[in-house]
Amino acid sequence: MSAATPLHAWIAGAALALAASVQAAEGVKLPPVHRAQLANGAQVALVEKRDTPLVAMTITVRGGALGDAPGKEGTASLFADLIQKGSGERNAAQFAEAVETAGGSLVASAGSESLGIRASFMARDVDLMLELAGDALQRPALASDEFEKARTLAIQSIAAAKDSDPRALIASYGDAWLFRGHPYGRPVGGSEGTLAAVTLEDVQRFYAAHVGGDRTIITVVGDIDARAMSSKLERAFGGWRKAGAPTPRAPAPQAVSGRRVLLVDKPGATQTYFWLGNVGASRTDPARTQQTVVNTAFGGRYTSMLNTALRIDSGLTYGVSAGFDRASQPGAYQVSSYTQTESTVQAVDLALATLERLRRDALDAPTLASAKSYLLGQFPPTLETNGQLAGRLADLLFYGLGPEDVDEYAQRVAAVDAAAVRSAIERAFPKPADLAIVLIGDADRIRAQVGKYGPVTEMKITDPHFAPPRT
Amino acid sequence: MKRTIALAATLLAVAPQVESATTTTAATLPGADQIVTRTLPNGMKLVVWPDRDIPNVAMYIWYRVGSRNERPGITGISHFFEHMMFNGTKTRPPGEFDRTMEANGGSNNAYTSADVTVYQNWFPSTAMPLIFDLESDRMRNLDFDPKKVDSERGVVYSERRSSIDNDNFGTLVEQMQATAYVAHPYQIPTIGWPSDIEAWKVEDLRAYYQQYYAPNNAVMFVVGDVEPSAVFDLATRYLANIPSQPPPAPVTTDEPPQQGERRITVERDAQTPLLAMAWHAAAAPDRASRVMEVLLAILGNGDSSRLYRRLVDQEQAAVDVGTAHDQGFDPGLAWVYAIVPPDGDVARTEQLVDEEIARLASEGPTPTELTKARNQALAGFWRGLETISGKAQALGTYEVFHGDYRKLFEAPAQYESITADDVKEAAAAVLRPENRTVGRLVPPPRARGDAVATGAVR
Repeated sequence: MSAATPLHAWIAGAALALAASVQAAEGVKLPPVHRAQLANGAQVALVEKRDTPLVAMTITVRGGALGDAPGKEGTASLFADLIQKGSGERNAAQFAEAVETAGGSLVASAGSESLGIRASFMARDVDLMLELAGDALQRPALASDEFEKARTLAIQSIAAAKDSDPRALIASYGDAWLFRGHPYGRPVGGSEGTLAAVTLEDVQRFYAAHVGGDRTIITVVGDIDARAMSSKLERAFGGWRKAGAPTPRAPAPQAVSGRRVLLVDKPGATQTYFWLGNVGASRTDPARTQQTVVNTAFGGRYTSMLNTALRIDSGLTYGVSAGFDRASQPGAYQVSSYTQTESTVQAVDLALATLERLRRDALDAPTLASAKSYLLGQFPPTLETNGQLAGRLADLLFYGLGPEDVDEYAQRVAAVDAAAVRSAIERAFPKPADLAIVLIGDADRIRAQVGKYGPVTEMKITDPHFAPPRT
Repeated sequence: MKRTIALAATLLAVAPQVESATTTTAATLPGADQIVTRTLPNGMKLVVWPDRDIPNVAMYIWYRVGSRNERPGITGISHFFEHMMFNGTKTRPPGEFDRTMEANGGSNNAYTSADVTVYQNWFPSTAMPLIFDLESDRMRNLDFDPKKVDSERGVVYSERRSSIDNDNFGTLVEQMQATAYVAHPYQIPTIGWPSDIEAWKVEDLRAYYQQYYAPNNAVMFVVGDVEPSAVFDLATRYLANIPSQPPPAPVTTDEPPQQGERRITVERDAQTPLLAMAWHAAAAPDRASRVMEVLLAILGNGDSSRLYRRLVDQEQAAVDVGTAHDQGFDPGLAWVYAIVPPDGDVARTEQLVDEEIARLASEGPTPTELTKARNQALAGFWRGLETISGKAQALGTYEVFHGDYRKLFEAPAQYESITADDVKEAAAAVLRPENRTVGRLVPPPRARGDAVATGAVR
């Protein structure tokens, strides 16, 4: 343990003028960020923002579900569930009581490459917030009765989700089907099958190997004094041990060549939900802004090419969207929608034809100009709240991006031209002939028709996994 | 998702946002003293809250019309009309509204509930004159292209399939609302019954436009990077000369007191059965609704709530529990629901809910529980006011449902005034079996065997 390292301003106020050529209305800048590093290597970023008496905090530990042992998917996620169920001096009930009596929120969850905590408390309760988060990550009870309850609940929650709107689940099937054999294809929350195999010892092993202060990013934004907060963080987290194993990393995924179809049978469904995807682009891709501009025009807003074709002009669906899952490595680029069972083929054909049209015709000048204007106009509200700012700071530190990712966003958007659009489409948007396709619907009513999209593999929605085991 | 209905969604959005507050006053809320209002000669009221945190504006237009204004044959038309507000005017062809707005950096959405239809625009402040032009055009010149009416019918049907027909909770809630109300139009599902979705006519839409989409039936809220005088100038230019209309016919039907418990069962394929209870409660502005919010928070808000601890944590009789509270112009429903585990016993889950309600009705809440509910409300109040959108929504809720946006700032005192006895009495007076509808969603007998077999896979 050591004293907090001196603070230094990451972005001095003077740097705010850097992007003066872009009109104020076209972009927002990060506020001044105070950065520090704790004795154990944890990175800290703080912002003083006093318009409400609230404080938001994120704690991000690198690794997450990448540390799950094969066949034990959901381990990191169960760990995150469990650290809210008793730590330090508090049992599960006392922990929840402490959070909620203060009117706070504190949620621990796992992601594909990290796990952590997001919290929001009244400023007067900031010491309690640090104590609870510090206990959860450094002194979790990991009790066996709470583990059994958490595991059972996780399994039952998947069953409940399968009874609910399939829109919430289809990406889990899509990722499993697209990234077969790659970590991004493993379900972060586990499946009913893999959760059944996870033991408390797995969780304890995971904790020892993959959770520690050395691989952690802490951001706090709100009604705080940065210097005082830095000292508090050093006291709360500076003595946190290092994790035992190297930080796991995902290899580059292999894109799909040709098509393969996964048909998930949900008997009685009156709609077919579909997902078309291939490997897209990473969070740090140098062309990410160009890709986002193209996706906005293609599937990222109401008047997008896809929504115009499938909703506005044809009434086939209530909604269609497309987008990039960005992570350290390229995640999925996906198109997702739904339509009544009878129009399944018509809607999927139209989505494929629209993708073909993007690749053939790219974007005309008015569409490109409109997409850029839309992105610029909609950017400021993405950095409005304490929680949004805390999340963005964590995102930048996690991916090793500098403040220019935010501060020069408007200039990057403004600079996208027709050549950049062409290049982005060619490199990051899938060919219609190369896709992993998932359909959730009443298989008896669509089986015969969907074979034309490629070889079909069929499973039931009640099967305890998100894609059949590979044979 | 764009253009939604506030229906089953209310069941899942558990935490009350701006409805709640405790020790806050207008004086401590930065910028609240800057709020200015004006009523145009045609009866349209504007409420403007300057907030220059970001160079953007949230403009919300509330029309006092929703599915409670409907009748058999045209159920769902308020929500369908909301869709048609984006589909062309006499001066702009279908699609131009959205294309123009997005090309100028703006986005929009809208929602319809039983009580109101709300149109939301989010845009850079430089686009404000254009947005006024677009809004004035569709308030004055809306047109109904028969082709668009037909394709939009398909869109709304898809929305119904998604939120009701292919979602077990949506299905159960719709059936329970139709059961809990025998007279009042809150029985009507906001999305509309399928045969009505298929049958709306252009004449119905025209009549709706004439009757409800008048300036005197609307309130506009503008929050963000604006100068109030500039907003009022634009309003005078674009909105003031739209003629007012006779006030719409009021909804006069009162739901008669319920005289005994109603129970329904919905049979659907399901691994996890559902249990829900709905009691007749109060209208939004009634102090009893504040009491009910506190009561429901104590029962079901968070992992330390009574129902979560008993049903999920201690007895494993539920995968999740929650509460909801429909608050509108007329007395709405207070809800408690539970997701039952795959091989669980719905009757036992119900018995545990009953025990917890009975305990609250006989013993009342503890001082800690009251403090907790207040602090949750206070934090929720602040979180709701963190954004210009949240502020616009809060102003709208208080102005339209409570009669005056300034009551937003009186809410803290109202919550402060709620006592343990208030909560105890409300539990006894409202959460009575004779005042409730109990709904269960269970798999049909054949599929129940399947569900057990699936459970065995674990």
